[in-house]
Amino acid sequence: MTNSSCPQLGDPNAMAKRLIQSAHNRDGLPEIAMGLTFLFVGALSLAQVLLPRGSAGFKTAVFGLAFLAPVLCIGAPQAVKWVRRRYLIERVGYVESKPLGRKGMGMMIGLAFVVATVMSLALFAAVTRFSPAVTRFSHPDRWVLAGTGLLGGALAALCGKLPRFVVGGVLMAVAGILTAFSGVSLQIGFAMLFGFTGLLALVSGGVVFFRFIRQPAEPGE
Amino acid sequence: MSTNIQQLAEVDRIIHEPARLMVVALLAAVKEADFQYLHQSTRLTKGNLSVHLSKLEEAGYVAIEKTFRGKYPLTMCRLTERGREVLDGYRRVIKAAL
Repeated sequence: MTNSSCPQLGDPNAMAKRLIQSAHNRDGLPEIAMGLTFLFVGALSLAQVLLPRGSAGFKTAVFGLAFLAPVLCIGAPQAVKWVRRRYLIERVGYVESKPLGRKGMGMMIGLAFVVATVMSLALFAAVTRFSPAVTRFSHPDRWVLAGTGLLGGALAALCGKLPRFVVGGVLMAVAGILTAFSGVSLQIGFAMLFGFTGLLALVSGGVVFFRFIRQPAEPGE
Repeated sequence: MSTNIQQLAEVDRIIHEPARLMVVALLAAVKEADFQYLHQSTRLTKGNLSVHLSKLEEAGYVAIEKTFRGKYPLTMCRLTERGREVLDGYRRVIKAAL
């Protein structure tokens, strides 16, 4: 019936989401976009440390991080969509997602609120309740770095739903913890964490994309 | 419980077939998708997918429209309201019975 095994009969919604997620990541483009965004963020964080404070380069790095990073985060999925429709439609096909809707938008805002609250509480607890003196391990910078690594890793593993995303997520979490407690400053830590994760995503996405593009394209129906 | 079990005999046989259920479930999760996307996502052979889509179209569960995007021919598929209702009903029966 199929040219590979058919998924077991289960919740159709879960099955569809799994299939769509796997199709979404089949060509490696989302990882490449994420890798470039992370490398950009990492490079700007490093630039803030290396360049003299108040210099034009420093100001550019600060404004770049503040304005361009969010724009890239929102624009990267759109860029991936455009590249697919412009150059890869014969290989990946065409799909139009459902609009997010009020419920979806509410959930997204709710999730962002919960994450922000948890991070703030964790920071507050780290520097006040659990450790009266700010030490190397209780310094808020440490927890921000470790939290970023853990949260980013967990999101990558949960959202990607593919083994390579789970491995990438675990590596990001480990990198976050190691960077946090290595004693480097917050900006250097961010540069290291985002640089490492970006490079990892870029290499992983590049390999997947290269393998995908080497497969012979089949004509459409 | 026995009533629920007996309802299994009345499930819609068109979408009960695993390959068609896969197509319908996929289409339920998106606004619309083309043939190539369904073929890539389900890994059904093109012949099989074509036959299953025809059956779903005949039953009125899927609407198929042949268009072009530039030079690329697109066979766009989307789930109809009827298809959505039948899928919801199918889920309810399976959930209640198993």
